[in-house]
Amino acid sequence: MVHAEDTTPPAASVVEPDGFTLPLKQLTFNPGLDQREFERSTLNALNVYDPLENWNRRVYHFNYRFDQWVFLPVVSGYRYITPSFLRTGVSNFFNNLGDIPNLLNSLLQLKGQRSMEITARLLLNTTVGIAGLWDPATKMGIPRQSEDFGQTLGFYGVPSGPYLMLPILGPSNLRDTGGLAFDWTAESQINFLNVSDVSENHPEIYLLRAIDKRYTTNFRYGEMNSPFEYVKVRYVYTEARKLQIAE
Amino acid sequence: MLRSLRFAALLGGLILSASGQARDVDAATYGYPLTNPFEATIASTPPDLRPELPTDDDINQSDYSLNLLPKREFELPDNFWAVKKFHYRLARQDHPAPLIFLIAGTGAPYHSSINEYLKKLYYKAGYHVVQLSSPTSYDFMTSASRFATPGVSKDDAEDMYRVMQAVRTQQSDVPVTEFYLTGYSLGALDAAFVAHLDETRHSFNFKRVLLLNPPVNLYTSIRNLDKLVQTQVKGINSTTTFYELVLGKLTRYFQQKGYIDLNDALVYDFQNSKQHLSNEQMAMLIGTSFRFSAADIAFTSDLINRRGLITPPKYPISEGTSLTPFFKRALQCDFTCYLTEQVIPMWRARTDGGSLLQLIDQVSLYALKDYLKTSTKIAVMHNADDVILGPGDLGFLRSTFGNRLTVYPHGGHCGNINYRVNSDAMLEFFRG
Repeated sequence: MVHAEDTTPPAASVVEPDGFTLPLKQLTFNPGLDQREFERSTLNALNVYDPLENWNRRVYHFNYRFDQWVFLPVVSGYRYITPSFLRTGVSNFFNNLGDIPNLLNSLLQLKGQRSMEITARLLLNTTVGIAGLWDPATKMGIPRQSEDFGQTLGFYGVPSGPYLMLPILGPSNLRDTGGLAFDWTAESQINFLNVSDVSENHPEIYLLRAIDKRYTTNFRYGEMNSPFEYVKVRYVYTEARKLQIAE
Repeated sequence: MLRSLRFAALLGGLILSASGQARDVDAATYGYPLTNPFEATIASTPPDLRPELPTDDDINQSDYSLNLLPKREFELPDNFWAVKKFHYRLARQDHPAPLIFLIAGTGAPYHSSINEYLKKLYYKAGYHVVQLSSPTSYDFMTSASRFATPGVSKDDAEDMYRVMQAVRTQQSDVPVTEFYLTGYSLGALDAAFVAHLDETRHSFNFKRVLLLNPPVNLYTSIRNLDKLVQTQVKGINSTTTFYELVLGKLTRYFQQKGYIDLNDALVYDFQNSKQHLSNEQMAMLIGTSFRFSAADIAFTSDLINRRGLITPPKYPISEGTSLTPFFKRALQCDFTCYLTEQVIPMWRARTDGGSLLQLIDQVSLYALKDYLKTSTKIAVMHNADDVILGPGDLGFLRSTFGNRLTVYPHGGHCGNINYRVNSDAMLEFFRG
């Protein structure tokens, strides 16, 4: 095969009398048409360490139901009673809080430039953005970049461990679950903008945060519309985390 | 004398064909930027060339469920609880308006991205919109398909028609002035068969029907799609699988970019980067996505009909049961395998036998040729570089639809449906 990768294909090189341009003619096929690469790739992708699969699958179904019967109806109620600018403000506010663990983990991974950017975001959004209700930093070209302790552990070579489907929170693994616990603890210790302290007496803040989290998360159970959604989600989660760690 | 006769014949031919000439869109005036059919199929239109659409917040819409096959509830294992009822989405206007049905493509659910796009487009134009899953989708097969062996277009259309009638009954308070129908890819083939069925049943009397990128010969289409995973891909070896290759490219792309940003322009931007995929790699990716659909269809059909090809008929399945062993078996089955192992045996048993050629004739657009030729309410939009077509298919469309066929020079398979030129033409067609 000659460098198909380096050349742009000739547009419509062959034209049939009826105008058809034979797109498959542009491709080099395996002569025997007996390659099993799709099968090999997919079987290989199924090798995710999942010793608790039975339990995880039950939790997956629990989450699916919880989502349909509780979480999503609550989110659509939230959508109904609040104007869109208020929801954006809420998301910005919690995102700004989230920039604290982002900064912490970025520092822990010794990522200088990223730490500077997140610091700039925090300074801008907390002051000009009035305690984070607005997000002027993104408009100025400093997009939000997420770093959590699971990624930090992965960055230093900690393996992901067994795959875990967490109740309500969704797909995770042992390493990332530990990371999550660390990030939550760190956030309440740092007590940025005094939110953690106030939340002690006002659990509704946690509730709002949970609703906002679901509101901003696009994932829907059943979205892949496949009987094999569990293994597909498992693979996508595992690979997405690898990508986040590498980046 | 002879010469003038010839001239007369030519003139007559010109006059006759003038009404029947397909509308061929010229590549230069069309302006669609993706001239590579594989890139167009994967990336679709760059965001700034798409029509302006309302956001979900601006649309009055809900999901509804129908209990069409009550027996399935007891026939299916527990972990299929989510698809035992049929689901669809309705976006309704607050005034009397036409209602348009959208049928999704191969394996796609009612909320597929193209269906969502079409919903926004037609909702903005003032129509009530009903989004329906493809008869080949997992949820349709389990909750609405009597034989749960999709592929026989006439049967699929019967199932679909029952669904539409049930939707109409459930939504009887929606003030509908007239009915329209459209579908993309396999959904377009379904739409043609549904329109034909409606000519005898008259539940809707569709005023206009639009087919977007339909397969012409279903067998050609499935063989083309099966073949896509047979491309020679550079970079695959004993230590690197195809997925690892693509993910590696994606990782390097994000590293060079400096941050992860998932948006509509991602694929387009990625293909313009140093990490872009070759034609063979893109074809493999498209083929892979269709193989996953084939695996879902083969597994679901086998399970519901207790054929024992993939799942042993009495195998106990609960919510905790791992389906991985069955997935491993199902993913070995492509469309051709599903056709020969499940569709043909069932079809033969139900129709006193028949050859593969007869089946192909019955399930493809050929079966409706006479109807489509005379039915002026039906139009087709297709692309000259669509990977699901074979040689001669466009010729069939030309001779069947005449000036009701529009052929775009680029767009691959459904990649240009969300291009502004196409969306304008689609709206124009229904405006009449």
